[in-house]
Amino acid sequence: MSVTVVIFAVILLISLGITYWAARRTATASDFYAADGRLTAAQNGFALAGDWCSAAAFLGFTGLTSLYGMDGAFYALGPLVAFCTVLFVIAEPLRNSGRYTLGDVIRSRMQTRASLLAAITGTVAVNFAYLMPQMAGAGVLVRLLTGISYDWAEIFVGISMIVYVAFGGMLATTWVQIVKAVLMLGAGAIILVMALSLVHFNPLSFFAQAEAKYGAHFLLPGNYLKNPFDQISLGLGYVLGLAGLPHVMTRFYTVPDAKAARRSVVWVMFLAGAFFAATTLFGLAAANFVGQDAIRAADKGGNLTLPLLAQYLGGGKGSFGGELMLGFVAAVAVATILAVVSALTLSTSSTIAHDFYVNWVKGGRVEGRREVWIARATAVVIGLLAIALGILAQGVNVAVLVILAICVAASANFPVLILSLFWRRFNTGGVIGGMTVGLVSSVVLAMIGPAMRGSEALWPLVNPTIVSMPLGFLGAVVGSLLAGRDMGNEKRFDAFLLQVHTAVAPE
Amino acid sequence: MARDEARLEAAQAALQSLVAAKLRFLVPMSIIFMVGYIGLTVIAGFAKGLLGVKIVGSLNLGFALIGLNYVLSWALALVYERIANKIFDPLASRAAASGRRSAA
Repeated sequence: MSVTVVIFAVILLISLGITYWAARRTATASDFYAADGRLTAAQNGFALAGDWCSAAAFLGFTGLTSLYGMDGAFYALGPLVAFCTVLFVIAEPLRNSGRYTLGDVIRSRMQTRASLLAAITGTVAVNFAYLMPQMAGAGVLVRLLTGISYDWAEIFVGISMIVYVAFGGMLATTWVQIVKAVLMLGAGAIILVMALSLVHFNPLSFFAQAEAKYGAHFLLPGNYLKNPFDQISLGLGYVLGLAGLPHVMTRFYTVPDAKAARRSVVWVMFLAGAFFAATTLFGLAAANFVGQDAIRAADKGGNLTLPLLAQYLGGGKGSFGGELMLGFVAAVAVATILAVVSALTLSTSSTIAHDFYVNWVKGGRVEGRREVWIARATAVVIGLLAIALGILAQGVNVAVLVILAICVAASANFPVLILSLFWRRFNTGGVIGGMTVGLVSSVVLAMIGPAMRGSEALWPLVNPTIVSMPLGFLGAVVGSLLAGRDMGNEKRFDAFLLQVHTAVAPE
Repeated sequence: MARDEARLEAAQAALQSLVAAKLRFLVPMSIIFMVGYIGLTVIAGFAKGLLGVKIVGSLNLGFALIGLNYVLSWALALVYERIANKIFDPLASRAAASGRRSAA
């Protein structure tokens, strides 16, 4: 374990160096929220890969595949396909029509206070539902990997992210993501080459060995997701939910124009997609080399599969190479968690400081320097709240929150965003209707489903997106129609649409 | 406000041809990836046995289609970037230019 601590200390020192460098370059609100829109497409592509590969992806997909076969591969594929939606309809319109947040887009379309408040609610709900399980996962993982207690792990992770975000803003958060993405891809490439070298570089052997060891059933779907509708719901949640995640949306404001936003999505699709595809092979390799019994013995959810595989490939338990590989992968896992919680903290403090305080409470009349100061202070408060929630979440089943985050993103944020961008008749009533129905139906269905109530579930699906997403769209449409026509808003739509497609802003 | 309206009217025609071009390409491309991916989850849910059909050695149809979905997503991304650079961007700068010109 000491190898992990040494490697992680090096990563931490690099991150703090980045934060110091970034803090000296962060003066204006645009610097803090969006790195002044001056990142390149490649930088943003790496940072997106850092954002999107949470510990759930880095450790979880490999673990699921090693224990449940094909269902793990489905979990890994969805997050890549989801970027098709982002690339085709979200990334460029967002870059063209907003400044820092989802709230900015809704506000410039609707120009009403109520719709801004609805956008803030959606952002905060998704971010906290995402942040809490990440913090809980961080505590468990850091404890497992380094041996410090859960509560100290929470405090350590929380304080690190507060330092990154409050001092370095978007620039530091971005570079922490980039460093983590490079380390993660590097670790993945090393593991892939070492694993393939054991089967004479023929990946088909992984499938043959797995079939010989666990039977053909292992390579079929349905071992993890028993209900067929859950399989489809998971797919829909991914494909539409990613486009509704505020901390991912924010990344498109860090590049100068729509062309760079487009290019950064292509970057992330190749970087993250290649990694996701590799996790399927890692899972099969781990099931073959390490064995499911040893994987379950280390962690029954399979979250330590990738570190165990790395240890095996390095030479096994107790060998220098084995411990070095284990330490490296474990340290990258901790860096992964830190990068993701930092992005969530930044996105949440942006919406509280910029959307809520500056635009909702103060009507935009806040001086630039003061806004930055408020955003930094908000980041500290959000970070402390995250530490408290993380400590409270110990031992609680937080799996339902992971589902909830992506489900609310797909059912509330996505319908409201897409209709704001492209539907002339959409109005404030629709924003409120879509946000409320999407949010409430996701929360209620997740709470009465099997993830929360086990065998006493009142509703059969773990992931309710297949029902809550159409409900969210319905709420948005019905809300728009009930609210009556807003002629001023419809008249402005031509100008707004021009901005969505060309970035030429109305005066 | 009047200046805004004049500017918009001039930009409208160019904007409409941009939107039409986007729809012409993006609707079929979206159908391809949605059918490819959601279709696969439907088969996984309701016709498991089909995905167990062996293709090469122990590699079954399910894993082969998952692999195909990766390739399809990457191919669509590259195709989109090419179309956007060659077709959407020139139309967008025309709409933007006519928007700005009538504003000046």
